[in-house]
Amino acid sequence: MENKINMKNYDVLIIGGGSVGVPLSYYLAKKGVRVAVIEKESSVGRGQNRAAIGGIRATHSDPAKIKICLETLKIMRKMENKYGYDVDWIEGGYLFPVYNEKDETTLKKLLKIQKSYGLNIDWISKEKVQKLIPGINENNLRGGTYSPEDGSASPLKTIDAFYMLAKENDVDFYFNEEVIDAELSNGKIDTIKATNRNYKSDLVINCSGGNAKEVGKIFNLDLPVFPDSHEAGITEPVERFFDPMIVDVRPEKGSANYYFYQNKEDQIVFCITPAPKIPGKDCDNTSVFLPQVIKRIINLYPRLRNIRVRRTWRGLYPMTPDGFPIIGYSKELKNLFLAIGMCGQGYMLGPGLGKILSEIIVDKSEKYDEFIKELSLYRKFDKDEMLK
Amino acid sequence: MNRIKNHPILDSNERRKKVKFYFDDKELFGFENEMVSSALIANGIKEFSIHQKNDMPQGIFCANGQCSKCTLIIDGIAQKSCITPLKENMRIKTLTKLPKLPPDDEALGNHKKRELKCEILVVGGGPSGLNAAIELAKLNYSVILIDDKEQLGGKLVLQTHKFFGSIKDCYAGTRGIDIAKKLENEIRKYDNIKIFTNSSIVGIFKDQKVGVFQENKNYLIISFDGVVVSAGAREKSLVFPGNHLSGVYGAGAFQTLVNRDLIHSSDKILVVGSGNVGLIAAYHALQAGIKVAGICDILNDVSGYKVHADKIKRMGVPIYLNHTVLVANGNEKLEKVTITKVDNKFRPILKTAKTFEVDTLLIAVGLNPVDEFYNMAKNFNFKVVKAGDAKEIAEASSAMFGGKIAGLEMAKKLGNEIKIDENYFKKADILKSPPGKNYSIKETELTDKYQPIIYCDQEIPCNPCVSVCPNDAIKLENNLGNILDIPKFDGECSGCTLCVTICPGLAITLAKKIDKKHAEVILPFEFIMNYSVGEKIPLIDIDGKYLEYGEIKNIRQLKKKKIHLITVITSLKNGNKIAGVRVQDENVTKPLPKAEYDYIPEDAIVCQCEMVTVKEILNYIKKHKVRDINQLKNIRVGMGACGGKTCNSLLSRIFKMAGVDWNDVKRGTDRPLNMEVPMGAIINEE
Repeated sequence: MENKINMKNYDVLIIGGGSVGVPLSYYLAKKGVRVAVIEKESSVGRGQNRAAIGGIRATHSDPAKIKICLETLKIMRKMENKYGYDVDWIEGGYLFPVYNEKDETTLKKLLKIQKSYGLNIDWISKEKVQKLIPGINENNLRGGTYSPEDGSASPLKTIDAFYMLAKENDVDFYFNEEVIDAELSNGKIDTIKATNRNYKSDLVINCSGGNAKEVGKIFNLDLPVFPDSHEAGITEPVERFFDPMIVDVRPEKGSANYYFYQNKEDQIVFCITPAPKIPGKDCDNTSVFLPQVIKRIINLYPRLRNIRVRRTWRGLYPMTPDGFPIIGYSKELKNLFLAIGMCGQGYMLGPGLGKILSEIIVDKSEKYDEFIKELSLYRKFDKDEMLK
Repeated sequence: MNRIKNHPILDSNERRKKVKFYFDDKELFGFENEMVSSALIANGIKEFSIHQKNDMPQGIFCANGQCSKCTLIIDGIAQKSCITPLKENMRIKTLTKLPKLPPDDEALGNHKKRELKCEILVVGGGPSGLNAAIELAKLNYSVILIDDKEQLGGKLVLQTHKFFGSIKDCYAGTRGIDIAKKLENEIRKYDNIKIFTNSSIVGIFKDQKVGVFQENKNYLIISFDGVVVSAGAREKSLVFPGNHLSGVYGAGAFQTLVNRDLIHSSDKILVVGSGNVGLIAAYHALQAGIKVAGICDILNDVSGYKVHADKIKRMGVPIYLNHTVLVANGNEKLEKVTITKVDNKFRPILKTAKTFEVDTLLIAVGLNPVDEFYNMAKNFNFKVVKAGDAKEIAEASSAMFGGKIAGLEMAKKLGNEIKIDENYFKKADILKSPPGKNYSIKETELTDKYQPIIYCDQEIPCNPCVSVCPNDAIKLENNLGNILDIPKFDGECSGCTLCVTICPGLAITLAKKIDKKHAEVILPFEFIMNYSVGEKIPLIDIDGKYLEYGEIKNIRQLKKKKIHLITVITSLKNGNKIAGVRVQDENVTKPLPKAEYDYIPEDAIVCQCEMVTVKEILNYIKKHKVRDINQLKNIRVGMGACGGKTCNSLLSRIFKMAGVDWNDVKRGTDRPLNMEVPMGAIINEE
């Protein structure tokens, strides 16, 4: 086995060239680690990165996600000037318009928690909402929460930027390479067998997004990652007329929240959360999505009635039972690290997480211990996320 | 006004209601409900808006609602002018930057989901779809047929020429426009076929439903048990510098402007591609009074039917074989096209460059099946069949037969135990045959009795001359034993001229000796008749060589058949060689005395929606080691309004140029919507 020509040796082997794996590979390599990424598709980001709509917010309700995303935001702001990659970053903020007392109470309660973590978020008046979203339905509009430092960027361009950065730092990428089997011995992964080659590595990191469960099985691990699907769409470009990501949290029959923004190409990108969830990995379009989401969009923002929808697609939210990612070393296999179950937020978590994990893995930094511990595979998964 | 008032085949449409409209505040007139783009071109306005990325004026391109080049601000809203009907007092404005969404802030109005059910959905009402629907209706299935045009018949409605094939099986010898009417009359007889025209399927969905964008304003969801995809074909695009100039577009768009809308869209055109589409487009141009500088083709042979090519050559249009378009030049719009000969590796030989001053360059370099709905339906495991060009690019004659077969196959898939006649398959196969062997025709000796001289020397699936001869005096040679065989005269001719008038290739004359020195020849003529008896006209041999001037003895107009028969007196020696009349002056086709062009090969545009050049793509492929079409989205390839319909088929060549094996490249995924739809339309907001 050892003598086979197609055996590759690395310090770190990342399974999955997606939103999480690619930035991580870059941050690890930058610290001098020999990294390889194996990806079953033919290029980076062919899993769920390409389905992400591009929103990046630090305004979550839980410290772990907040800290990781604050890190991501820092990175995104510097992508062009520091790294030389224009990833269509727009610091347009997130705006949750509020139309009823219940939502106002909930969001205002949340506001206190969010502020306690140092987030720049506040309640804004109806008038301010109308100024930020000219023409928004004013009937019963009470105001909203607004976090101006959140933003958006192109997932496609972001992952390409990290791919180029990773390559500049000598990360090896193996495409069309799927993990098929693994040799385990002494509580460690000895060899990973993939479509075209075998790999040995001091550390293996599972960043396989929607396929985390299947990859886990290869290592005899039952990983609680259950993808469900969400549909999204994009319109023609029109002259820029609003900046924030608009999130409408009012549920309706068949759907929970939906959200949309105008990207740097001046197209509106929109997405809805089905209720109940649609479990499974099916990514084919259905006839339900467009009428469902559009009715809600026009109700909130009538002038969008005249914009033309260009394309729709469906992507996966690799969910965990409590809606939080699974991060950390495996107890069963000492050289396996997990960075999975991003719950549909892999794109916004990826860059920050990559940077943080590189410090944990290479520098053995302990400064993130407190919140990373919360994301352990061995937690109870009984927490309820306030702001999903 | 750039309108065609007199057309030899098409009836004038000048009687429609005239309406006033405004273009950038200028008062203009057009016809109510004609497409805005056509009304503008009729008023001499061919450059509509300015493209965001390269500040180039945009003209008509697909004329079919697929791309968005013709987008204008129409009554305050950005709309594709080629699918927006003109209304009285419409205010149309050019776009110089991204359109502004109007502040239409009225609350969400009444809206409803509109849903329908059928057993079989037929996508596309061209020759194959209509026939498929009819077969299914005969078997009592409930059918819904969707077509994106106002008139049924697909591309038949744009064809003024007579069709090939056999009379019995596929209306051979009848003009495309008339076949369309016959098929429409037939299909309208069935009340178990529901027809939606001006409607496009914009998505086929996993839940066994399609989304239909109807009449430019509504959205209809239709569920079905089985689907027949007969969506036709789309024209291939071509990469050369200047291919984005206003005035460069497909032959299909041209036929739409000229033959559907009777717009005098151009003064002079050049055609690239010598398939039947290119040849016929040139013929249609001449019929519409538009000059044709020539046809070029990179191949060594004409790829369409020889009778078509011969006909075009006789009319005075040169065909440049082994030639390619080097570059299209112009200040903001097309002014000059330069073609060159190519070497045996298809590389241009610059010293052979010829420049033509034309305002339009028609791209007719072949068709690709519109089969994405079929592929998606197949992926979803739906019961699906395809027919016509969506299945295989071929003539309408074979599409009609293929449609019947597809209809029956669909019935079988739905459990009907019907048997499909073996002959159907045989006939469909023959009708789709490409041109076969060429023969040399034996010279006919003229006698003092009329006899047909048949200038048809290539195996093509066509035999109406045989069918119409009342004396059974035209027979097919028995080489292949089917209608591909060459017709020959063998028997008695009564001089009835039926063969002359029916031949789709205009490849039959009647000729006789009238004295020792002279012959009399009867020629078919499908142009506006500007000649009179006694006039001398230039007579041409089979493939375009000038023979002599002959005096017109008689002109007979067959009004119903929309053809003239010209009897000319010629020299005896040429009587059996004269195949037609030159209608275009030789000076029209002359290139500039010296080639004049600016040629920067890598400036050619690949993605026309987002204006991405060959150079940008090549650099990106090399720098990013691209092996996946998806990666090209980073430079916007395929991200525009048309969804890659124009550029996808060009990418294989670009990858090859970059040294990448196309087989190693992962292809993109087709996703709905197939065509952009306003949000308000999707929920049928009133």
